[in-house]
Amino acid sequence: MKDYLKGLSLNKRLALIVLVLGFMALFAGSPYKGTEIRIDASEMAMIVQKEVDHVSPAELAGWIVQAKADYRLIDLRADKDFAEYHIPSAENIQLTGLKEAQLGRNEKIVLYSDGGIHSAQAWFLLKAEGFKGVYILRGGLEDWKDNILFPRLADNATPAEIAAFEKSKMLSKFFGGTPQTGGAAAAATPAMALPKLEAPSGAQTKGTAGKKKKEGC
Amino acid sequence: MNAPFFKYGLFGDDVSLIVAFVIGIGFGFFLERAGFNSSKKLAAQFYFTDLTVFKVMFTAIITAMVGVYYLSVIGFVDLSLVYLTPTFLLPQIVGGLILGVGFVVGGYCPGTSCVAAATGRIDGVVYLLGVIAGIFVFGEMFPLVSSFYVSSPMGQITLPQISGLPYGLLVFLVVLMALGGFAGAEWVEKRMSSKKARV
Repeated sequence: MKDYLKGLSLNKRLALIVLVLGFMALFAGSPYKGTEIRIDASEMAMIVQKEVDHVSPAELAGWIVQAKADYRLIDLRADKDFAEYHIPSAENIQLTGLKEAQLGRNEKIVLYSDGGIHSAQAWFLLKAEGFKGVYILRGGLEDWKDNILFPRLADNATPAEIAAFEKSKMLSKFFGGTPQTGGAAAAATPAMALPKLEAPSGAQTKGTAGKKKKEGC
Repeated sequence: MNAPFFKYGLFGDDVSLIVAFVIGIGFGFFLERAGFNSSKKLAAQFYFTDLTVFKVMFTAIITAMVGVYYLSVIGFVDLSLVYLTPTFLLPQIVGGLILGVGFVVGGYCPGTSCVAAATGRIDGVVYLLGVIAGIFVFGEMFPLVSSFYVSSPMGQITLPQISGLPYGLLVFLVVLMALGGFAGAEWVEKRMSSKKARV
């Protein structure tokens, strides 16, 4: 074989190389694959339908209180809004910066924006890029405010609801919010100011959580 | 690092002109080395006694094709960003025929006429002047032909799109076609030159 190749002229050797490359092209696939995004539409639809890609504000609050560190919380809003308030432990990455962001495909990523649209769009982008564990904070920051920071107790609450409210009150205080009582009339009270970032919320969360963890060990 | 470099903003418009200059010099150099500064050699193509033009051009085509194909498959080149000249079938057939007639009559194609002129051949310089005059005339009469110029548009199409065949299969077929073409060209050359020798 080697002698045979040596015996060939340069032209014939080049012809042989291009023939081999051409033959390999039969199995090498489409050259557009490097730029195309491929998704498994039925799998995606299933995930969306079953809502397994959602994390409720209460779940997320629980994780933060427990100081879980196995996920990354991504705030998709503008810098300004992020500076004003963000959920403790969140990182600020906007949609346009998502591609450059150092996110691992095997990481658990929780996305949130004001409502749910931007996080849903970012979820799709990341899923299409092959990210496995991407989750959306249900209802975004709006629901976080309503359920965690400013939980409301209706006037005609049942005892079970009151008991639940006691719990949310604790959670709300932990994150520096203000529980609301007295129904819709009190909705727009100035007491609903967002917690200051330097206030107990973020810093203390990490502090106490860290301590707790140490005790656990 | 990803290609096309220009589309990915590796350099701007100014540098792109320098890059074009360097590539152009390289292109001209290899055309000259292939002997394409001689109208006799180029015209011999049409008498089937010397098919170097055919072989060089087909070599360039399959080298570029295989190169671009594999660089895209490994993800280095974003093929969707590579510019494709849109196809206007009828005007391009007519234009090709006009160019072909010019090639046979003048002994050069536009690129090789530049090479010939650069090596100091007078016929090359005259041909180049003709090219410039032709461009001028075409530009002046463009309003008359503009409707034909944009007729039968087919967009930026590729062989895989038209044929519906997988890209890789087409690469293989074009390679086979080229290799067959080379073998056929050698055979024709031998036959024609021996005929010529007998005459």
